[in-house]
Amino acid sequence: MASVDSIYGLFADPRSADRGLKTLQSAGVPSQRILVMSPEPFEEYDFGRADRGTSMPWIAALGGLLGGVSGYALAWYTQIAYPSHIISGGMPVVSKWPSGIVTYELTMLGAIFATIVTLLITAKLLHWKFDIYDPEISYGKILIGVIDPAAESRVEFEDRLRDAGAEKVKGTGQFGTA
Amino acid sequence: MGHQWGMVIDLDRCTGCEACVVACHAENNIATVGDKQAAGGRAKHWIRVERYYEGDFPDVRVKFMPVLCQQCDAAPCEPVCPTFASYHTDEGLNGQIYNRCIGTRYCANACPYNVRFFNFYNPVWEKPLNLQLNPDVSVREVGVMEKCTFCVQRIKAAEIKAEAEKRDVKDGEIQPACVQSCPTNAMVFGDLSDPNSQVSRMAASSRGNKLLDELGTRPKITYLQRDSWNGDENA
Amino acid sequence: MATKTPEQINEDLLRPLSVVSPRYFIALIFFLAVVIVAVSFFGRQIYDGLGVTGLNRPVFWAFYITNFVFWIGLSHAGTLISAILRLCNATWRRPVTRCAEVITVFSLSIGASFPIIHLGRPWLAFWLFPYPSERGIWPNIRSPLLWDFFAINTYLIGSVTFLLLPMLPDFALIRDRASGFRKRVYGFLALGWRGTPKQWHRLETAMHIMAIAIIPVAVSVHSIVSWDFAMAPVPMWHSTIFAPYFVAGAIFSGIAALIIAMAGLRKFLHLEEYLRPIHFENLGKLLLVMSLLWFYFVFSERLTGWYGNEKYEMSVFWLTQRGSFSPLFWAMVFCNFILPMPILAIKKLRTITGTVIASIAVVIGMWIERFLIIVPSLAHKYGSFSWGSYRPSWTEIIITAGTFAAMALLYMLFAKAVPIIAVWELKAGQSVEREHLETVLAASEAEAGAK
Repeated sequence: MASVDSIYGLFADPRSADRGLKTLQSAGVPSQRILVMSPEPFEEYDFGRADRGTSMPWIAALGGLLGGVSGYALAWYTQIAYPSHIISGGMPVVSKWPSGIVTYELTMLGAIFATIVTLLITAKLLHWKFDIYDPEISYGKILIGVIDPAAESRVEFEDRLRDAGAEKVKGTGQFGTA
Repeated sequence: MGHQWGMVIDLDRCTGCEACVVACHAENNIATVGDKQAAGGRAKHWIRVERYYEGDFPDVRVKFMPVLCQQCDAAPCEPVCPTFASYHTDEGLNGQIYNRCIGTRYCANACPYNVRFFNFYNPVWEKPLNLQLNPDVSVREVGVMEKCTFCVQRIKAAEIKAEAEKRDVKDGEIQPACVQSCPTNAMVFGDLSDPNSQVSRMAASSRGNKLLDELGTRPKITYLQRDSWNGDENA
Repeated sequence: MATKTPEQINEDLLRPLSVVSPRYFIALIFFLAVVIVAVSFFGRQIYDGLGVTGLNRPVFWAFYITNFVFWIGLSHAGTLISAILRLCNATWRRPVTRCAEVITVFSLSIGASFPIIHLGRPWLAFWLFPYPSERGIWPNIRSPLLWDFFAINTYLIGSVTFLLLPMLPDFALIRDRASGFRKRVYGFLALGWRGTPKQWHRLETAMHIMAIAIIPVAVSVHSIVSWDFAMAPVPMWHSTIFAPYFVAGAIFSGIAALIIAMAGLRKFLHLEEYLRPIHFENLGKLLLVMSLLWFYFVFSERLTGWYGNEKYEMSVFWLTQRGSFSPLFWAMVFCNFILPMPILAIKKLRTITGTVIASIAVVIGMWIERFLIIVPSLAHKYGSFSWGSYRPSWTEIIITAGTFAAMALLYMLFAKAVPIIAVWELKAGQSVEREHLETVLAASEAEAGAK
C-alpha cells in the first residue's frame, strides 16, 4: 500500500478540513498534489469543489446519438434482411413512426451506457488497489493531505495540518509510521 | 402474374351442414381436443359455421355463416407478431410459419374474426386416427398458433403441376377442402387478380359484402347476402 | 432528525445488515416456499402446455398479462419518482429514493418475466433478440412486443445502474467497517470507491444525467405496454388515450407500492426516525393527485366511449358497467377513487396508517383495472358467436401469488445486504442543512454586529 509517499491529516468536521486545504495551498503545494477524500460530497466546501470540470453530458449525448443511429440501422436492416417484397398487415416493415420507438429506446440506452462508461473511467473506479486510503473516512473523517512531499518538509506539513485542526496526522511510504 | 387467392361464400346456398368443417379437419390434420376442452373454448375449427337466430319463436329463422380466415390484405394479425411467424405471402395469403411461432397469441387477439387457434396441449390422434393424417400438411406442436391456409398445399400442388405442364393454373382447378366438400356449392375459390374467374365475377355481385368491412382489414372473402329472406325464395 | 450525528446514522442504517431475527427467517422461508411452489407450477405449465391455464379462445391473454402490466406499472414507483425528486432537488427525498429504486428493479424483473411465462413456447423467447441466425430468425421491428423488449431492457439497465451508482459510497462504507469475507465482497462491490472530490462530483453528474434519461424511458415503457393493446383493433383497446392513461396508472400504483414498502421497512427495520410521517404525508399527497388524475382518465375514456356509441365498443362497455364484469369494475372505482379520496384529502386521516390503507386499496384496484382492460375486451370481441369468458386456473393464481412472494423475498434479501436508505445521501442532506443554517446564523450575527 505504501508505494506512494504522502502526509495527510484526518479532520472531524468540514470547516477545519477547509482550513487544512488552505494551509496546504498557502504552503505552495500545487493542487494536483493535494489529496482529498471524504465520506460525503461536501460540495458546499472548498475542498469538495475540486475537479469539477467534466464533459460527461456531452459524452452522454454522443452515446445517445450513436445508440439512435444503431437503433434506426436495426430497423433498416430488418427491411433488407428479408426478401424485399415482405409486407405484413398491408404496411411496409420499416416506416418512420414505428421505427421511431426502437430508435428512441436505443438512443436512451446509448446515453446510459456512455454515462456509465465515462463515470467508471474518469472517476478512476474499477481500481481496487489503493495507494493511499484510510478506513477512518468511513467513520466520518475527512482526509486532506500532500502527495510526495519533500522529506525535509515533513515536520512543517504535519504542524500545518495539526494547526488547522486535524485530529490525526499520518503518512504513507517513507512517512509511514516506522 | 401474381395470383391473389380469394373466395366467395353464397349465404343463400349455405345449409349449415358443416361438411366443410369435417373436410377441413381431415385435410389439415386438425386434432380434436375432446368435449371438456371444446366446451372451455379450445376447439380448433379453422372453418366454423356460425349460427344466428332472428325473430321470436315460433317465427325463428336460423342464419348460417361459414367463417374462416378472411386472408385480409391489411391483416391486423401480421404486424403484431414479434417473430414474423405471421406474414403475408406473395399470393395474398396470411401465412403462418409454425416453426417461427413462439406463442405470444398476440395475432389471435388482434384478429377481429377470431379465426386463429392455439394449441393449448400437444395434439393427439387416437389409434387408428393417426393413420389418416395428411402427409402434405405438417402437424403443429403445443404452444403454436394455427389457422386456415386456404389449403396452401393444394394451391402449391396445382401451381407446380401447371408449371410442369407449362400453362397457367386453370380457374376452378384448385379447390380447398371446404369448397370441394360443400354439397350446395356455396363456396367458390379462385384467383381475384383474374377478372374473368368465377370468383371475381361473383365477388362483384351487388349482394356481396365483406365481414367487418368497416375495420379496413380488406378481407379476400366476399359473402353474398341472403336474398331469400326478402320473400323470393329462388333469388 | 437534526440531532443525529453521522456516526449514529451509520450505526442505525447499517444495523439491519448484521442483525437477523428468527421472525425474519420464518418470513424468508415462507416466501421462499411460495416461490418454489409457483416455480414448480410453471414447470408443469412448460411440460403440459398452456392448457393448464384458464385461457381459451377468444380470451388469449388474462392473468399473466395482467400481472405483466401490473408489475411493470409498480416499477414506476421507484426510478421515476426518485428521478423527479432528484431533479427537483426535493430534500425530503433522501431517505426515500433507494427503497423506491429497489421496487423498480425487482418489480421490473418480475414484470418482464411474465411475457416469457405466458408464451406458448417460452424456451424460444430469445428469438426476440436480434442476433445473426442462419435460419433467418430476425425480429419484427414493428411488433409492439418487440418494442416492449427494447423498452423494458433499456429501463431495466437504466434503473439497475440508477440504483447501483449511489450504492458505491455505501459499499465503501461497509467495506471499511467490516472484516473478513464481508470486507472482500463489499470491497469488490465498491469498485474502488475512495471518496475523492472527483469521484463525488462525477457520481453526482452521472446521477443527474441518469435521472434526466430515466424519466422519458419510464414514460416510454408504460406507453409501449399500453400500445400492446392500443395497436390491436379490439373494442375498447384501440384508443389513443391509452398511453397517458397507462403511464398515470403506473405512477399511481407505483406510489402506492412505495408507501406500503416504506411502512414495512419502518416497522421491521426500526427506521421510525428516518422514514417519518412527513414522508408518508408528502407521498400521500402525490397519491391523491394521481388518484384524481386516474379518475379523470377513466372518466374521459368512459365518456367518449359512451357518446361514440359504437356497437362493438358498447358491447364491452356494458359488460363492465352492468354485465358480468361490473362487480369488478365498481370494486376498482371504489379501491382507486372512492376509498382513497377522503383518506388522502383529509389532513387528519393522511397518517401513516391512513396512507397505507389507501395504498393497499390502490394496489388492489390497479390490479383489477389491468384485468378489466384486458379480459372483457377479448371476451366480447366483435361477432357474438365467438364471445367467451374466462376463469383463472389454479396454476395462474399460484404463479400470481408466487410473484408477490418473490417481490417480498427479494426485498427482504436486499434489505439485509444493502442499507435500504442511502447513508451518504442522508448525511449529505444534513450537512447541506447544517451549512445553510450556519451561513444564515453567521450572516445574521454580522448584521447584528453592523448595527
